[in-house]
Amino acid sequence: MRKIDLVIIGGGAAGMSAAVAAKEEGCNNLLIIERNDSLGGVLHQCIHNGFGLHRFGEDLTGVEFAWRYEELVEGYQIPYMLNTFVIDISPDKIVTCVSPVEGLIKIQAQAIILAMGCRERSRNALLIPGTRGAGIMTAGTAQKYLNLMGYLPGKNVVILGSGDIGLIMARQFVMEGVKVSAVVEVMPYSGGLPRNMKQCIEDFDIPVYYSSTVSKICGRERVSSVWVSKVNENREPIEGTEFEIPCDTLMISAGLIPENELTDGAGIAMSPMTKGAVVYENNETSIEGIFSCGNVLHVHDLVDFVSEEGAQTGKYAYEYINSVNTTTEYIEEDDIKVEKGPGASAIVPQRIHRNTSMDNITFMFRPSFKKNDVTLCLSSGEKILVQKKMIAVTPGEMCKLVLPKEKLAEVKESVSISIHVNEKEA
Amino acid sequence: MYDVIIVGAGCVGCATARELSKYQLKVLVLEKGHDLCSGASKANTGMIHAGYDPTPDTNKAKFNAPGSRMMFEACTELDVPFGKTGLMIFATEESGMAEIDKLVEYAQKNQVRVEVVKPPKLYEMQPNMGKDVKEVLWVPDGGYTNPFSVTFAFAENAHKNGVEFKVDSQVTEILPIDGDGKNGYCVIAREGATEDQKEEVTYQARMVVNAAGLHSDTINNMVSNHKFKIIPRFGAHVILDRKQSYKLTTSLMETPHDLPGGGHTKGQAIIPSTGGTMLLGCDAREVMDPDTTEWERPSAMQIINYFKNIWHTLPLGADGSEFPMDEIIAVFGGCRPHPDGDDFVIGEPDDAPNFVNAGGTESPAFTASPAIAEYVANICIDRLQPAKNENFDPYRKKKGVFREMTDEEKAAAIAEDPDYAKIVCRCEMVTEAEIRDAIRRPLGARDLAGVKLRTRAGMGRCQGGFCSSRVLEILAEELGIDPLEVTQCGGASRVLASRCGMTEEEVQS
Repeated sequence: MRKIDLVIIGGGAAGMSAAVAAKEEGCNNLLIIERNDSLGGVLHQCIHNGFGLHRFGEDLTGVEFAWRYEELVEGYQIPYMLNTFVIDISPDKIVTCVSPVEGLIKIQAQAIILAMGCRERSRNALLIPGTRGAGIMTAGTAQKYLNLMGYLPGKNVVILGSGDIGLIMARQFVMEGVKVSAVVEVMPYSGGLPRNMKQCIEDFDIPVYYSSTVSKICGRERVSSVWVSKVNENREPIEGTEFEIPCDTLMISAGLIPENELTDGAGIAMSPMTKGAVVYENNETSIEGIFSCGNVLHVHDLVDFVSEEGAQTGKYAYEYINSVNTTTEYIEEDDIKVEKGPGASAIVPQRIHRNTSMDNITFMFRPSFKKNDVTLCLSSGEKILVQKKMIAVTPGEMCKLVLPKEKLAEVKESVSISIHVNEKEA
Repeated sequence: MYDVIIVGAGCVGCATARELSKYQLKVLVLEKGHDLCSGASKANTGMIHAGYDPTPDTNKAKFNAPGSRMMFEACTELDVPFGKTGLMIFATEESGMAEIDKLVEYAQKNQVRVEVVKPPKLYEMQPNMGKDVKEVLWVPDGGYTNPFSVTFAFAENAHKNGVEFKVDSQVTEILPIDGDGKNGYCVIAREGATEDQKEEVTYQARMVVNAAGLHSDTINNMVSNHKFKIIPRFGAHVILDRKQSYKLTTSLMETPHDLPGGGHTKGQAIIPSTGGTMLLGCDAREVMDPDTTEWERPSAMQIINYFKNIWHTLPLGADGSEFPMDEIIAVFGGCRPHPDGDDFVIGEPDDAPNFVNAGGTESPAFTASPAIAEYVANICIDRLQPAKNENFDPYRKKKGVFREMTDEEKAAAIAEDPDYAKIVCRCEMVTEAEIRDAIRRPLGARDLAGVKLRTRAGMGRCQGGFCSSRVLEILAEELGIDPLEVTQCGGASRVLASRCGMTEEEVQS
């Protein structure tokens, strides 16, 4: 069996940045396994700009962003296998994969980084009733048809979901001569960045229906119309509020789900909040030596944050490889648990090693509401350890809090993260 | 002139075609859908009913139990996966126990093995069954298979043994030759994939078999004055991902009972599937359009809420876990052909010689289909007195299924065909080799839905989000057509509208 120090599963933004960082730290025996015929992952179909502002200080397209990393991977001569699909990861870190060239291969890894990305929520998972003909697709599929294959999937589109992908696809459809009849958003506000609302929707006079959802799909062979209804507080359609919008395509851009079937198969503990692995402050999962980063760990807003997290994880994984013989013993009972307080959700990491070697611990999480003038709080017991005032928060944008190491001593068995709305003084 | 024309390529029609292919007969199957298995068989759960519950002395009772035995045999011969896991009907209330007493009586009359099991023996059989279960009716001879695979396998095997099939062929008229049917029938069909391609085609056959399922009333009423009516009964099912399916070792069904808040539930079931997913449902409501597959939110929610409430009673929720809303993959629905006489309509009406009904085929007709087919085929064989087909081959072998292989088998399959290493559908782990085979094989797939039903590509948790564009490319390649011509499910269901890079006027024209 082949033996490799660090196996990285997935050659998208997370995987490539992890590989590059590990290599820069000195890791020479590493391998990226990529299922597609090129590195870059989903970035290849993202021909719009807005990538790289944080990472490279430049406004790049997704494709260009991927090239930057591909060049680094090539420059460092980091080995990668393309068209190779991992079918299993065992708890003792044997990776089984298949490729048309090499057949079925098993690799014994010393450390593994999971960087498989995410998938899109489907019409069915959203329980949208109606017919099942042609013309119902996710934004990713529509993007693939347009940007990779050169086809338009319809002439008249209704878009469900106003996250950034939905908004950007709306603009692209209009530019290709496709009518965008509506954007329908279940929340009372857009899930996307303000700049995308302006540049993709308002500039093209596309109608947006907030607090609404698609409540029915009509048309037996091909979509002929959809019904749009107002939603109640449980985000369920309210009967009697529906109206019909003629269209031939329903494009769904209603959320991403980390793709963790391999993670699950290895028996790694999962978080019901993030749908990703439960990780420690160094992004190590419940199985020692298996790490997770990028959208397979939790869904990010920007690819820049994915590559940042990937780079850190690459570093941590190499630290793990180096310290195997000298490692500090972590005692599970001493782990600090991270708990979700009011207003915060999808917190990463979920656990902290009491005797961590890290200087600062960064927490990423999502607000569960859209509010102005709030305070992010990290506390342990009654004691507030870190506070940060924010002008506004929205579930579409991740929040960040940093716990300095010197405050770790004040932490009891758990820390809690919460978001408080500041009362206006009379 | 054909010896036999079968109207309808669902499980009953295809099983009948296979039976007839054991003889030297010229047989044609006409299907109005774009593909085989596009009516009630497509919306079936694949549950193999043992035959304990049909009212004794009905056609349902007569064909169910023998059909279930024949179905397990057919699956073995035709390389179709199945599970012989039995069925448990559980009662949580006194009224349910009374229901079980009635079922025991029926089972005895129908000669089906059943056993009433109470705690503590119940917990030896199903250690994780909820404590509020008073007793169960254990039916060891039930199981499940895949209704699409069964129907395609019957058809492919019949085709291999000489039967012709036509899809997109809707029978509009059946006229007796020479005034009565003694010399056979003219069968007139509208054929063509799309409305503008439709043309009228006339066939002649010495005998006609009506296996038209949801339209079996229409076909019967064309030739016989013993008219009946199909009342389409729509049912929806919810599909759950396979994460927890290891906890489901048998199909589970609650006895029908009154609800505390009023109303009455028909027994809801949770059924394993050959793909590893679980099917929950179903409900029943009468609809006008027999061909509708349009499900409604309230019926899906009713099923979901029912299972949310009893989850702790089932072995799936015994560990205290909640109903996994996140693991809902899809909801699907379709109509059952409920006949107004409440029983299968089988045999030759006295006013239509050489016309044989296999209609009114609501549940348990899928299970009963091999037995119905044998009975109907025997009427044809008695009449036509054909010689045996000495070359009849009862076996059908499908290309190996990657996800079911061991590592050694996978390695061998890839060595032989590198397309086995190209995973197209990630969720169901379907390879390019299997997809190409599904298109190339006789009576193969011609659209995305056809590939999905034959291989499971697109049937998993992402519902084709990743693979549908690749399947579309493979279909275009294999069929030698432009990607723009590829359809979701035949007819006017083209997936793509036009190429990029055109003006707005061109796109909208």
